[in-house]
Amino acid sequence: MRPATRRTVAVLFAVAAACVAGGAEAQVRAKADLRCEQASEVLLYDCTVGLVDSRTNEPLTGLAVTIGADMPSMAGAHSVRPVVAAEGPAKGTYRFRLALEMHGDWALLINLSGATRDRVVKVLRFEDGRVGEAPPPRR
Amino acid sequence: MDDYTIGVLSNIGVVSFVALSAYLLLLTGEISFGQQAFFAIGAYAAGIATALWGWPLALALAWGALSGGGAAVLVGIPTLRLHGLYFSIATLAFAEMVRILFELFRYQVEIDGELTGPSGAEGFRNIRYIFDHNIDAVQFLLLIYALLAAALLGFVLLERSRTGVAFRMIGEDATLAGLQGISVARHKVLAAGIAGALAGVGGGLYAHLTTYVEPRIFDVMLGVHSLAYGLIGGLGTAFGPLLGVLIDIGLLESIRALAGYRMIIFGGIVALLLIVRPRGLLDERTMHGIGNLWRRTLLRLRRPGPGPGPGPGPGPGP
Amino acid sequence: MIDLVQNTIDGLMIGSSYGLLALGFTLIFGVMRRLNLSYGPSIMIGGYFGTVLYLQFGAGPLVVAVAVVVGAALAGLYVERLCFAPMKAGAAIASMVSSFAVWMQLEQAAILVLPRHTYAFPPLATGAPLEFGPFAVRIDHLVMLGCALGLAAAVQLLLYRTRFGLALRAIIGNPVAAHLVGVDVRTVMPLAFAGASAIGGVAGFLVLAVDQQVTPMFGMWATLKGLIAMMIGGLGSVPGAVLGGLLLGVIEVQSQWYFGPQIRDLAAYFVLFAVLALRPRGLVGSLSEASTQKA
Repeated sequence: MRPATRRTVAVLFAVAAACVAGGAEAQVRAKADLRCEQASEVLLYDCTVGLVDSRTNEPLTGLAVTIGADMPSMAGAHSVRPVVAAEGPAKGTYRFRLALEMHGDWALLINLSGATRDRVVKVLRFEDGRVGEAPPPRR
Repeated sequence: MDDYTIGVLSNIGVVSFVALSAYLLLLTGEISFGQQAFFAIGAYAAGIATALWGWPLALALAWGALSGGGAAVLVGIPTLRLHGLYFSIATLAFAEMVRILFELFRYQVEIDGELTGPSGAEGFRNIRYIFDHNIDAVQFLLLIYALLAAALLGFVLLERSRTGVAFRMIGEDATLAGLQGISVARHKVLAAGIAGALAGVGGGLYAHLTTYVEPRIFDVMLGVHSLAYGLIGGLGTAFGPLLGVLIDIGLLESIRALAGYRMIIFGGIVALLLIVRPRGLLDERTMHGIGNLWRRTLLRLRRPGPGPGPGPGPGPGP
Repeated sequence: MIDLVQNTIDGLMIGSSYGLLALGFTLIFGVMRRLNLSYGPSIMIGGYFGTVLYLQFGAGPLVVAVAVVVGAALAGLYVERLCFAPMKAGAAIASMVSSFAVWMQLEQAAILVLPRHTYAFPPLATGAPLEFGPFAVRIDHLVMLGCALGLAAAVQLLLYRTRFGLALRAIIGNPVAAHLVGVDVRTVMPLAFAGASAIGGVAGFLVLAVDQQVTPMFGMWATLKGLIAMMIGGLGSVPGAVLGGLLLGVIEVQSQWYFGPQIRDLAAYFVLFAVLALRPRGLVGSLSEASTQKA
């Protein structure tokens, strides 16, 4: 690398560091319990996620929750348009419907905003009529 | 911008780093199926640095780049005398070894009452830096693109430098380049190192963007994709691989209506494109043409008055 | 000791299918000098073809076998027409990337036809394993080994005892010179390509019948196993392909037995990397020196 390049990179890192410094300290961390089952159609799933504070186990209510989905085997290539979850009847539960592109393992990114900002990642295996834990991949 | 657009743009930016990494090696004439390994190493290194060691993000990303680059140099030396398919398969073997080693890699520390850190095939969750430090999605997007711009600037400067010329000469004919007095071995290791560092930065950004990584993200698919981006977008400029990523992730997103047939259509388009343009959309000839046009326009602007007449005027030397 | 021998037997049996995969791969590479990443996915298409016949019409193993081989050959021909035939002389990387794009096509096509993750595949032989003293051999494994050795011998004979083989060897040695001395390169190439994919189809049928299931991931698996075995044995060599496959099988079974499933793949890649770094021409060497010059 030429000195000019090196300097540019160094400056940008400094700028980046400046942007990033001065953030707040650790906040509430969420813990999620996710259940999904197939809806009326193939590749359509109804899910319920229960959110609690990971330290106090208090349910987290009144949050804006959106869910994105991505396939670990094709990172970035098969991301599903995020869906907004609606708060369910039980405290701290949120419900949403997911339309996937294909069966297989999906990483659901549960994004919380509002009083608590966080993201919880759950990997599930979605199959025809069945949703379960994703076992370690085999061929 | 809605969250979704930000997410897609962030993905495009991050994947561009791996694509640039593979592109740099293509310049030196080598096809690597293994750049995803350095992406993985960068992701784990940077993720561990912030989540487990409490480092600031900038330092963690630099550490990711260093790890990726260092690993690339280490694997570059034994594969130095390999060419063509032999080199490609050796990089593939290395990358798969790295992926499997991450499946075995466990390093967890209790943070905030929860075990955090890489846990084998289950992956590495809770790389929560952007949440702990209140960095919102747009800010992180800007960070990604600032670093990408820096990388591109580096490429522009590189292409004008002696090193860049040496890279392309080695790519054309390594023996001839050697006869011209270029140290082929040193340049190849250098290219491998820079490419590894680029992938490492990308990995570090990826880990913090998604907040979780797992070994199978870094399989051969990612490697071949990043190679394909350069070929689709064009090998004439560093903007080629970016264009490739944009076409793949961006265009695929926009033809979502065709859900079930997407890859069939897209795969067909790419195959047909490569028949017409085997070195991609922005290939060397196109870039040369654009360069000439640009220079001619500049010349015309500088010399106002009667135009230089019809037909291509004598351009300045290359 | 008994374990060691039993593992070696099992490894040789499984390895024979890798050898078959490598055989088809090495023929394509020898003729084209280009890497066909869609090799495995073509075989996977054949597998899906067979599964559809089995599930829809209850076809027997023989019909399914023919379907897999024909399906793989047709898919291979499609890949050749789209990614290899129309490419200019210097565009080897473009061919490879194009074959990757077609891989994506084939995988999605398979998912469109059969959207679930796994489907049943008819078994080959369900009888009890044959016992030789303390050792046991599965019947379907024995069929696999027999097919692999038989096909390899047939390919070797074809290459060295027939006019078609002579034409192939001429193309492998130097395509331009072959064309000049009157070899009809334009017909021989697609034929060789389809034939090589059909050999892959045989391997695919045997593996799927032993596994009794098929998934879209089979394409990637077949490409990788074929590639590893081919490179260990030596690019462009028929005996090398078989030997590389057998060796890969033994390494995999032994390391899985002693160290577990993750180490199985790790060991395979480690041996591949070591062979390439120390002895790039492979263990056996190659059919033609020229074919090793440029990939």
